[in-house]
Amino acid sequence: MTELRTASVDASPASRAGTASARILTAVQAAGLPIAIALLVGGIVLAVTGNNPFVIYGMLVRESFGDINRIDATLAAATPLLFTGVAAAFAYRAGVFTVGVEGSFVLGGLTAAVVGSSVGGLPPVLAVVLTLVAATAAGGLAAVIPALLRARWAVDEVVTTLMFNFIVIGVASWSVQSFFQQRGQANSATAYVAPAAELPPLNPPNQANVGLIIAIVVVVGYAIWMRRSVLGFEFRAVGSAPRFSLAQGLRVRLVVFVAIVGAGLIGGLGGGAHALGIVHRYTSGFSASFGFTGIAIALLARFNPIGIVVGAILFGALNSAGSTVQLFVNIPIQLIDILQGTVMVFAVASFAIPRFMKRARRGAGRDDA
Amino acid sequence: MPIPPPSTPAAGSVTCRIGARGVSRSFGSVRANIDVSLTVRQASVHAIVGENGAGKSTLMRMLYGLDIPDTGAILVDDDEVTFSGPRDAIARGIGLVQQELAIIPELTLLENLVLGAEPRAGLVWNRKQALLSATELATTVGVEIDWNLSAAHASIALQQQVEILRLLYRGANVLILDEPTAVLAPAQAAELLRLLLSLRDAGRTVIFISHKLDEVIEIADDITILRSGRTVSSFRRGEIDRAGLTELIIGDRAPDERDDADRPAIGEAVLIVDGLSASDDRGIPRLSEVGFRLHRGEIVGVAAVAGNGQEELAEALLGVRAASAGSIRLDGTEIRRATVRERRRLGVRYVSADRKREGLGVDLSLVDNAIASSGLSQLGRAGWLSRAAVGARTRAVLERAAVRFGTAKDPASSLSGGNQQRVVIGRETIDEPRVLIASQPTRGVDVRGIGYIHELLRQARDDGAAILLFSEELDELHALADRIVVLCQGRVAGTLPGDAPRTRVGSLMLGESATTTKEEGR
Repeated sequence: MTELRTASVDASPASRAGTASARILTAVQAAGLPIAIALLVGGIVLAVTGNNPFVIYGMLVRESFGDINRIDATLAAATPLLFTGVAAAFAYRAGVFTVGVEGSFVLGGLTAAVVGSSVGGLPPVLAVVLTLVAATAAGGLAAVIPALLRARWAVDEVVTTLMFNFIVIGVASWSVQSFFQQRGQANSATAYVAPAAELPPLNPPNQANVGLIIAIVVVVGYAIWMRRSVLGFEFRAVGSAPRFSLAQGLRVRLVVFVAIVGAGLIGGLGGGAHALGIVHRYTSGFSASFGFTGIAIALLARFNPIGIVVGAILFGALNSAGSTVQLFVNIPIQLIDILQGTVMVFAVASFAIPRFMKRARRGAGRDDA
Repeated sequence: MPIPPPSTPAAGSVTCRIGARGVSRSFGSVRANIDVSLTVRQASVHAIVGENGAGKSTLMRMLYGLDIPDTGAILVDDDEVTFSGPRDAIARGIGLVQQELAIIPELTLLENLVLGAEPRAGLVWNRKQALLSATELATTVGVEIDWNLSAAHASIALQQQVEILRLLYRGANVLILDEPTAVLAPAQAAELLRLLLSLRDAGRTVIFISHKLDEVIEIADDITILRSGRTVSSFRRGEIDRAGLTELIIGDRAPDERDDADRPAIGEAVLIVDGLSASDDRGIPRLSEVGFRLHRGEIVGVAAVAGNGQEELAEALLGVRAASAGSIRLDGTEIRRATVRERRRLGVRYVSADRKREGLGVDLSLVDNAIASSGLSQLGRAGWLSRAAVGARTRAVLERAAVRFGTAKDPASSLSGGNQQRVVIGRETIDEPRVLIASQPTRGVDVRGIGYIHELLRQARDDGAAILLFSEELDELHALADRIVVLCQGRVAGTLPGDAPRTRVGSLMLGESATTTKEEGR
């Protein structure tokens, strides 16, 4: 056998550098292009409504990063998005396109509010941990049925998780009104959580809180787990090459199940942290579509952990600055929605179109004998 | 839109309705067509026969303008033409039915028929007019079609008829069909052949590729044989019989040298397959009651013309395809209902014919490709991978198969086809497999790479693996196999010694009765 072995020949350094820089270029293109187009569209909207885009954009930047308080507000707004972004990326890495994080976030939030209001007698750390564990479990529970349907019977997860969002959010509203409504509240809201269960702010009286730290830990955990764990490896393999993974005897069904439930767990934790850190209770409209914004962030970042952090801060900045900029100038309130919506549309498009083209080419170009 | 009148010159004025003169076409180092000539007479059925890779499809693609000859010319009505695309071919009345039908399942058969050339009534299409033309067209060629049926619910045979009618609807009077009967059950195939004959009787010209020599002899007016990219010869109806065709298709090349000196003796039976049956993705039975034994230290070849059940056999043995009946015993353990993961844990390994989708994760790194296996968790502990163990396994795999690569972090797609296949074989033979299912291991690999892959397989055999080798290359089977199991239409047509003459193997593959040649497997 020895005579068969030849020394492995290194590829030329030039070609290797080529692939590395090409990869970075595609990543920047993938994320930068949707953002650039969104800024352009937003600029046009501003110009049409008689505003100077550059002035308004400058104001947006100042309002999101201008001083320590503004940065704090941006980070507070980014915190739920970090959770939902990682949750979406977690499932998408395995090629599973769950959209159920929104429902898990809501159920996690409600659970945290209910549990958190009744743990006043416990020491703070224990109260918080207990409440967040309950929220995480609730988020995972909301995803179990779609996960089983997909892993066992290959039922399309986009449809089931989307439908489950409606179910979960409906059940949450109903149960608040029926069981948990705080007396004396006009709209449906639970009681405030016990002070012991609140996530303390990092820089009082600003809003960014310990939830941000937890979110960063989750992002780091996600990055390490994907690279270093056996199941994380299988996630990447199944997401990148499903038929190959099946033929290699990887645990494809387990991966699919864990992907959907895991996204729910992370989403539930995010909802819990949002309830304990910012809202301190559950009210209708608890989630400002954080679950869906998380999808855009995950796609924009191509599941890269650093990209998720950048994306969450970007969307967080839009949210926090958007609401204050309106105090100073008369811009259409929908501008922020337009910017977010455009980024999302093009993020999804820049992710989906190359896949679609690849499939079309594969269909057309058939090998022949 | 009424059926356009045939745009052909009066019959008899043209000797060659469509053909080729001295056509050559190469893809990289592969010479698909070498000085090929073809003359197809007006209003004839012309069969093109030859082994896999003989260059048939390439020739058909050039006739239809999907490809352009490097040298030589395509002829239409005795004139040299240069097609810049299928559009030009369609304009000259030429239509192609590929193996994968261009039918849109969401539409009805009628909509599929007229799509792209709908009769119009103002802004919408004129359904009534379309139905009228469709019915008329079907009647003229003698078929009956429920035009309102959704294409998704139509059988393959029906879809194929609609596709043929669509070409006629668009005015084609030369029809090229690439292995039209390969996807059909025998009764459906007979119906298709009748349709082809009635088209010819109506003055149209039909070219079809087939591996089924019986149907070729039955309906073809002319037969052209291709071998290794060259025209061997052409015959008129009745000038050649089945045996003569087989001999010309297979050729009489001498088998490669076998190098079997001082190899370990063949051992005990490892894999015993009995009465195994399976269906393809559409539910059509493709494998029926296949049985054989595979021994330690032995290579058994499986020879079959494409589409005769070998893919289904390989997939059923690995476990990615459910077997409908029969048994598979590995070292005495019944594994027919076992998962891929369980089978792999018992020592089954697999080299897929579909390297890019099943053999490798092309976008994954070489490291990922080298370690992806059911035994992954052994490369670490408690669910986490150990960097050192992963690195050691990667090096071992890449060195075992002498893969030439840049860095192990490069994606598998950065390697050449031959090197990609080395990664696959290195990975699948690294931990002493009990059974290695190797499906088309040298497909798309250059000559030097082929020799090396053969060495790797012999090495695995000598290390004690029981190898089942699926190959379209008879030379490959001759060079490696101790025995050759021939499949035909999903059944074992016979078992021959590894050095059986090519013509023996070939005639079994092409469906000759096996009663006189069947040998007892060990």
